[in-house]
Amino acid sequence: MLKTKSGSFYFVILGHHDNPAFEVEFLPAGKAEPKDDYHHLNQFIAHAALDLVDENLWLSNNIYLKIVDKFNEWFVSAFVTVSHLRFIMLYDIRQEDGIKNFFTDVYDLYIKFAVNPFYEPNSPLQSSAFDRKVRFLGKKHLLS
Amino acid sequence: MAQCVQSVQELIPDSFVPCVAALCSDEAERLTRLNHLSFAELLKPFSRLTSEVHMRDPNNQLHIIKNLKIAVSNIITQPPQHGAIRKLLNDVVSGCQPAEGLVANVITAGDYDLNISATTPWFESYRETFLQSMPASDHEFLNHYLACMLVASSGEAEPMEQFSKLSQEQHRIQHNNDYSYPKWFIPNTLKYYVLLHDMSAGDEQRAESIYEEMKQKYGTQGCYLLKINSRTSNRASDEQIPDPWSQYLQKNSVQNQESYEDGPCTITSNKNYDSNLLSLDGLDNEVKVDGLPNNFRTHPLQLDQPIESSNNVDGPDHVKSASSLHETKKANSGIIHGACLTLTDHDRIRQFIQEFTFRGLLPHIEKTIRQLNDQLISRKGLSRSLFSATKKWFSGSKVPEKSINELKNTSGLLYPPEAPELQIRKMADLCFLVQHYDLAYSCYHTAKKDFLNDQAMLYAAGALEMAAVSAFLQPGAPRPYPAHYMDTAIQTYRDVCKNMVLAERCVLLSAEILKSQSKYSEAAALLIRLTSEDSDLRSALLLEQAAHCFINMKSPMVRKYAFHMILAGHRFSKAGQKKHALRCYCQAMQVYKGKGWSLAEDHINFTIGRQSYTLRQLDNAVSAFRHILINESKQSAAQQGAFLREYLYVYKNVSQLSPDGPFPQLPLPYINSSATRVFFGHDRRPADGEKQAATHVSLDQEYDSESSQQWRELEEQVVAVVNKGVIPSSFHPTQYCLNSYSDNSRFPLAVVEEPITVEVAFRNPLKVPLLLTDLSLLWKFQPKDINGKDNEEVRELVTGEPEMIGTEVISEFLINNEESKVARLKLFPHHIGELHILGVVYNLGTIQGSLTMDGIGALPGCHTGKYSLSMSVRGRQDLEIQGPRLNNTKEEKTSITYGPDRRLDPIITEEMPLLEVFFIHFPTELLCGEIRKAYVEFANVSKCPLTGLKVVSKRPEFFTFGGNTAVLTPLSPSASENCSAYKTVVTDSTSVCTALTSSASSVDFGIGIGSQPEVIPVPLPDTVLLPGASVQLPMWLRGPDEEGVHEINFLFYYESVKKQPKIRHRILRHTAVICTSRSLNVKATVCRSNSLEDEEGKGDNMLVFVDVENTNTSEAGVKEFHIVQVSSSSKHWKLQKSVNLSENKDAKLASREKGKFCFKVIRCNEREGATQSSEKYTFADIIFGNEQIISSASPCADFFYRSLSSELKKPQTQLSMHTEKHSVEDAVSLIQKCNKVDLNIVILWKAYVVEDSKQLILEGQHHVILHTIGKEAFSYPQKQEQPEMEPLKFFRPENTTATSRPSLEQLSNLIKTSLHYPETFNHPFHQKSLCLVPVTLLLSNCSKADVDVIVDLRHKTTSPEALEIHGSFTWLGQTQYKLQLKGQEILSLQLKACFVHTGVYNLGTPRVFAKLSDQVTVFETSQQNSMPALIIINNV
Repeated sequence: MLKTKSGSFYFVILGHHDNPAFEVEFLPAGKAEPKDDYHHLNQFIAHAALDLVDENLWLSNNIYLKIVDKFNEWFVSAFVTVSHLRFIMLYDIRQEDGIKNFFTDVYDLYIKFAVNPFYEPNSPLQSSAFDRKVRFLGKKHLLS
Repeated sequence: MAQCVQSVQELIPDSFVPCVAALCSDEAERLTRLNHLSFAELLKPFSRLTSEVHMRDPNNQLHIIKNLKIAVSNIITQPPQHGAIRKLLNDVVSGCQPAEGLVANVITAGDYDLNISATTPWFESYRETFLQSMPASDHEFLNHYLACMLVASSGEAEPMEQFSKLSQEQHRIQHNNDYSYPKWFIPNTLKYYVLLHDMSAGDEQRAESIYEEMKQKYGTQGCYLLKINSRTSNRASDEQIPDPWSQYLQKNSVQNQESYEDGPCTITSNKNYDSNLLSLDGLDNEVKVDGLPNNFRTHPLQLDQPIESSNNVDGPDHVKSASSLHETKKANSGIIHGACLTLTDHDRIRQFIQEFTFRGLLPHIEKTIRQLNDQLISRKGLSRSLFSATKKWFSGSKVPEKSINELKNTSGLLYPPEAPELQIRKMADLCFLVQHYDLAYSCYHTAKKDFLNDQAMLYAAGALEMAAVSAFLQPGAPRPYPAHYMDTAIQTYRDVCKNMVLAERCVLLSAEILKSQSKYSEAAALLIRLTSEDSDLRSALLLEQAAHCFINMKSPMVRKYAFHMILAGHRFSKAGQKKHALRCYCQAMQVYKGKGWSLAEDHINFTIGRQSYTLRQLDNAVSAFRHILINESKQSAAQQGAFLREYLYVYKNVSQLSPDGPFPQLPLPYINSSATRVFFGHDRRPADGEKQAATHVSLDQEYDSESSQQWRELEEQVVAVVNKGVIPSSFHPTQYCLNSYSDNSRFPLAVVEEPITVEVAFRNPLKVPLLLTDLSLLWKFQPKDINGKDNEEVRELVTGEPEMIGTEVISEFLINNEESKVARLKLFPHHIGELHILGVVYNLGTIQGSLTMDGIGALPGCHTGKYSLSMSVRGRQDLEIQGPRLNNTKEEKTSITYGPDRRLDPIITEEMPLLEVFFIHFPTELLCGEIRKAYVEFANVSKCPLTGLKVVSKRPEFFTFGGNTAVLTPLSPSASENCSAYKTVVTDSTSVCTALTSSASSVDFGIGIGSQPEVIPVPLPDTVLLPGASVQLPMWLRGPDEEGVHEINFLFYYESVKKQPKIRHRILRHTAVICTSRSLNVKATVCRSNSLEDEEGKGDNMLVFVDVENTNTSEAGVKEFHIVQVSSSSKHWKLQKSVNLSENKDAKLASREKGKFCFKVIRCNEREGATQSSEKYTFADIIFGNEQIISSASPCADFFYRSLSSELKKPQTQLSMHTEKHSVEDAVSLIQKCNKVDLNIVILWKAYVVEDSKQLILEGQHHVILHTIGKEAFSYPQKQEQPEMEPLKFFRPENTTATSRPSLEQLSNLIKTSLHYPETFNHPFHQKSLCLVPVTLLLSNCSKADVDVIVDLRHKTTSPEALEIHGSFTWLGQTQYKLQLKGQEILSLQLKACFVHTGVYNLGTPRVFAKLSDQVTVFETSQQNSMPALIIINNV
């Protein structure tokens, strides 16, 4: 089987109640949607990684926590914002730099959206503009 | 890991106990069988020693053994089969479920509060069974037999013979190469001879004697006489004896009991065993020849390892029989064990074990340890040095333990059974079994080194494992627990030896040890690492334990716990452990619930639903599936379709369980309860031929707060009129359509036999279409008898009695994916009472076939045909409407309370009349001012007579039913096809210019003073409309004066002849939409005529100028307008004649043309005016054609009065303010009055319109109301420019009430002056230098009061320019007059003007001052002559 260079990614922003505020999946261009519906597994893994994020938070000075967890073929990296919002990334091929840059850029983007007085913190981010921009960042940092 | 009953210090010694084999004769077996027990089973409850035991170690140190337990088991010659163990474990786990009502611990971690059961007994059972069913292995000796009990009965013919036979048998099994199993610890196994004696049957003397014989043969320490069965079975019932076997046997080995029952299936299974076994072993002849009890082979009864019994054979037969055994077991599981044993027998057995251990087993072990020790010591120096020397030669260094991974394919190395390397391991195991952990550790440690040196990985792993365990168990813990030993052992077992069973044992032990040291995260990692694909059950259990580790950490890892619970649940379900799977998912659900992890939640709910369904927990299944469907879903359409079908399927099963039960509540589709609308009444028939029904109220109308307010006002007006000006306090506006905006605080009233329509707003949240079938309303009804009293017994009826309430059923109602749709459901009440609409009932289903289509779901084409229902369930949904939030009192403001909403609880009242109104020939387009005749049909469609019909509208000037004179016009619409709307009289053309007069009173037209002009009674022929009757009435319409689209609301009001307490009246609404286009603009002014006397010699006359402009812009339609008649209507004035005698008698006005008319107006006869009431209007018509339209009759006068009354409404308030008693104001009003006229001009016209090459003649009329002399009045309302915003003032305005003086203009009209003189005067100046001209000055008092007048003739030139233009002259004679004029008096003054030159002079120099004579305050002002009075003086 031909091994594609870039893997798949699942990115989620978590609110303060462990609720997903924003979810997006990045699949490499050639790869079609996986046939089996394993999307819920992404959610399970990302959610389970939160315990290790909490643990790693005390061990690191950085807000980018690198790899915090691993499940089967999935690596989990995390990024914890100042307001203790957690960005979680699941991926199957290591790509530390891209993920770090992605996190940083999404954080910038998120701050711009969060200052919107009509956005209630922790509520799901339903802005299509935000979604579009995150997808753009994903293409730029992760899939390139 | 979860909490366990046993501590680890108890668990490990109990897992490794000295094993003792039992070999029984048939007779002995029969004796124990009386108790439904085998010999091994019989001993089982007593196999733990109650007292401490002492023994001496090789160094002669005293060693204390506590709680020693031995395991006695029958000999089995086949190693346990893997699959059978698996099945046993499966049964053990599934048989052990959490107790009902077990109080769960509440763990709070962060935001989470979780209910978790701290114990997992199924895991403990699994572990116990697993450890017990470990097959004996060559690399360790822990579960090898140390001793063998040979059991014979005292009842045998030759007991001693039997013993020797048994002894031979044992020897054969151990030393014959045919048997590789079971394993024996050392070659010379301890043999212990037991004589069983049945107290109830056997001869005790004989037993004693045989025992004596045995003692002599085998020594006192090597034999025992065990007396049992001292109780006769018939006594069994009256004495209750504890059953110590139940806890050991019932759990997992019950199935073996049944093989002794004489059921047919057991027989067959036994036969199977036999035949199979024989063929396998090839020992059939042996078995038959020697006649020995071959219980060691064929006996299916194994206590310790019950699985082996069913394990002797592989294959489908065996599995089948085992399962059938399992079935029969369930049928009779009430077996009492030990029925023939008394408590003394129990003590005897206990004593026997004690004796055996003390006298037999322990000395044997002690001796063996000593021997092994001696061997080792003697061999140590030699072998160790030799081995290590060779090793060193080859490798040069010691092999480190860590590098085991690199060593492959070395696990195959096997030592022969008696290899010296194994001797140390044997000794270590023996020490371990007798709890001498110090010695065991050092031996294991040594052995480990040896094995590693030899690269014997399996042996090394075993030694590492046991070294770690004994290090942990060492009293006083001299060294820390070497966890890395365990890790290495696990890794070796798993990766090198591929022996998952051993790896698992290792993990179970290590995890338990780590747990006891609170090293949860290490334990979890260990447990998770062993999960693999080969065993779902093991993986599930280990994952669950790992999850428990996470939650038991110092800072609990809740999310990890949840995740691993999910994984465990998944594995449980794969292993077929449905209940455990369900439990795991439910526990994990607590963490994921309500966080927005929708996919995860859906997965969990789906699994819970499935598992609950298979476990027949249907309610749970339903609620789980319900969750998936009603939450915001991210699933695809296909997925949702699958969920929906599953849900329906489950639901169907639920409802089949209780077919007579109440309908279940369905979750789909959503109902927006507050959007529910209720409509009372029949559906509207929009049009019936030419007839156009009244719009009334219908569900198709959108709610409009403005219009509903208008309707409410209209209804209030009419109710006020009916109740003589007062709105009764009980009045509430009639509501035919109830929605979320209407006032729903009272019970609505519905009339019997009139349908009630409920509109329910459905929404389908799914991506698949939903099909509702047999959709109808669910209701409850409390009937009342005719008197309105409740029935004596209050019967409550529910849906399904069509004689009381008819229910409409919608057979199919499709809601597409993510669609909102309303359904209108009807009820037909046939009886009075109280109705409560509860909800809707329907079959919920989906469309087959469309589910496979992705995304779009049902195609439009599918909608037309019959839907094939794949599956549907019947259920209901309640309509519960929350009332409005209350916000009146303080209490309500501070709390959140809601008022009631009684939309769905109508009271069915008695019959009421029901009116239907149709309009015939009702136009939609009119010219402004156009008069059109239409007909209205009133029909009473009920069974009650109707009366008091009235109509109310905000625009009464729009229509009329005609006054009392209306009878002359044709009554039916057909007769009036081409007839004029007006009442006309043909006149001869000679009497053109003069006006024809008539008079009428406004009272005749229903316009009284004070009554509301908007409320118009409908002139029904008999004021009553009988049931089924209908009447057509003419109705004239007049296009509103403003162009544009007009919505005109009519509200018809009617009552029942019979007074109803609940409904006083009913109403019917109609909204007419009229589009008007511009026609004529009429402008009129009135001014005083300069001529003092008319032909008839009367004093007062005026001129009216009427400008008429054709403003119609439409090119095609209207060709031209003809003014056919101008009429006046006034109480005091009338038109006399037309002044401008133009040739164009028709007064045509083409497009954009303008015409001017001038009329002379005179006062009516005062006598007439005095005799008749003040409300009498005089109409005067000036005709331009040859037909007179009688303006005092309908409809002309009607509209005139209507326009008048609407005009009067406006200034009324102002007038009332002016009539305050104030002398100055009196004067002002008096002066003002003389400017007032009350002249109204009606212009009647015809318009010639070409429409579809057909000429039509339209008629119309315009009204101009003249109030003030000299002021222009218009037929059309003037656009008032918005006054500009006044600048905001920051100071108090000064008092502006000072001057209420009449204006100059008003005063100037007080006295009318005119000069009469010859226009030219010839005078011979050469004869006489002074020219005297007589001039008459006429003074006319316009007011009705006395006026003082001063006339000043003194010449005062106003300006030098005037002098230049007009020559100067002088007045001769009296130059100043003081006069008093009475009301309306005319006075003439003779003056003389004196000229000295020829020329043109302006005589208008006299200044006239006027004041009201009775006034103290004098307003004096000069009378301005507007016109110059020029005279020409010629010289002759």
